[in-house]
Amino acid sequence: MTQQLALVRRELWEHRSIYVAPVTVAIVMTFISLAGMVTASAFDHEIRMAILGASNIVGDAERQAALTVFFLGTSWIFLFTLAILSVFYSLDSLYAERKDKSILFWRSLPITDAEAVLSKLLTVIIVIPLVTVAAIIVTHLVNLAVSSVWIAIKGGDAGHLVWGSVALLDNWTAATIVTFSSVLWMSPFIGWFLFVSAFAKRMPLLMAFMPLILVPLIELIVFRSSYFAEAVFGRGGMMPLFRGMDMEAFFDEDRMQVNEELIELVAHLDIVQFLTSPSLWAGLIVCGLFTTAAIYVRRYRDES
Amino acid sequence: MTSLVSAQGVSKRYGDIRAVDNVSFEIEKGKIMGLIGPNGAGKTTLLKALLGLTDCEGQLSVLGLDPFRQRKELMQNICFIADVAVLPRWIRVSQLLDFIEQTHPNFSLDRAEELLVRTKIRRTSKVRELSKGMVTQLHLSIITAIDAKLLVLDEPTLGLDIIFRKEFYGNLLNDYFDGERTILITTHQVEEIENLLTDIMFINDGQILLNASMEALPDSYVELVTSGDNADSARSLGPIYERDLFGKKVMTFEKIERDKLAGFGEMHTPSIADLFVAKIKGAAA
Repeated sequence: MTQQLALVRRELWEHRSIYVAPVTVAIVMTFISLAGMVTASAFDHEIRMAILGASNIVGDAERQAALTVFFLGTSWIFLFTLAILSVFYSLDSLYAERKDKSILFWRSLPITDAEAVLSKLLTVIIVIPLVTVAAIIVTHLVNLAVSSVWIAIKGGDAGHLVWGSVALLDNWTAATIVTFSSVLWMSPFIGWFLFVSAFAKRMPLLMAFMPLILVPLIELIVFRSSYFAEAVFGRGGMMPLFRGMDMEAFFDEDRMQVNEELIELVAHLDIVQFLTSPSLWAGLIVCGLFTTAAIYVRRYRDES
Repeated sequence: MTSLVSAQGVSKRYGDIRAVDNVSFEIEKGKIMGLIGPNGAGKTTLLKALLGLTDCEGQLSVLGLDPFRQRKELMQNICFIADVAVLPRWIRVSQLLDFIEQTHPNFSLDRAEELLVRTKIRRTSKVRELSKGMVTQLHLSIITAIDAKLLVLDEPTLGLDIIFRKEFYGNLLNDYFDGERTILITTHQVEEIENLLTDIMFINDGQILLNASMEALPDSYVELVTSGDNADSARSLGPIYERDLFGKKVMTFEKIERDKLAGFGEMHTPSIADLFVAKIKGAAA
């Protein structure tokens, strides 16, 4: 356990982008919202009207919905960052050590190949998502704090308009569930990337993506079918975590009100359906197989 | 004596090439064994097999373990420096020490710190900021701080200048070697390690040409510097190798009584480098 922690910490030392990238995104987003506020300050009159409207006309539910939409936007940007980070990290994790020959040093320590590869898998499946969730929470808090100060300066009641309306726990719970579920759902790709990282003699990025493009092409030409393409490229859109969104139920047009029960993000997530989905488990098995293959390649390949 | 390493009929093939060909030998505790051979002789392959980095045929036991199948246990008691460039360049010295302390049960951080104080290596430096010689110093300090039973060095001083090379072997003897530990070392710079070896093994084309203790060499080998008729007479006694030196003939004899050569010229024990050339060229002739 201590050893596994040391190994994972080692990954953070080597791949600083794991935390540098989310922090950069957080800073950029905060900066953008600051710039937005500065720009908006030019329209003083309109802002006062808007704050007045938000305070008196709009209901709690609508304010909550508006803030949730803003939160969702930031969360998706971090999820996108996570996806890119995971691809590059997994492809580099077992390739860089061979490229700089440090693999001979790592293998001179009493650490098995399985333990070493496992630490890389744990980094993608647990550490990167944890950093992502932390970055989402911090960004939300910083943005809320900045907005509160700004609204207060403009004469609004930030406590009521912002903090009283925001469903922090709901947003963060949903963000955590979606982040970790996405990683588990996409785990067969992570396994594949780890395997390519251990296997590729050069250009792991190309080696990883070429088969994903060539295999569907060959399937289409030879069998006139596209099962592989659907399984690979369609997987992102097939995650059985989300319940369908019924716009009519969500927004009552006659009463011009949102259905309060449906503002909660967590209410749209079906964890049981996700965890019992055969596709999830099939994906985890594929991930396990590729990871095992990566361990074998690291162990049996002769680096001379 | 207890054997630390025991090899019986060990072979390793790469396709049709036999990198190591049916090799048998033992290395006993407390020895400093030099493994000498030309490029492509199978030295590195043999070391890899010993370190469990590659599988092999035959029976190989290191510290009583099967190196390939019990690598983790083995690595708790073996250290190796494969080449000067293997320390990861991105890591900080402090991180490296920290990491090894947490993953190696036989590593003493205090001992490593004590050794590093004597060098110019700073804790905050990254490995890529250190010179080649300093990287080797760092690696040796780490290894010296590990209480291992066997140290394997594969060309440890490759690419280092003479000062670092001398210092390396000096530190190796003074700080690491205590008579209890065992060292297996390969290098091309034979002259530099000649005086520290207790045993020597020559390898060529995957086979062992010589396996002897340094003490036994004067009894087994003699080099004769001779010329003219004496050279012809000496040649009739069957030298394993002959070369020219400043108009004279230098002949290397194996297992010959020195009395038989008396009067033919000047006799002495060949240096390892000369013996090496004699054995390799002699075997090829």
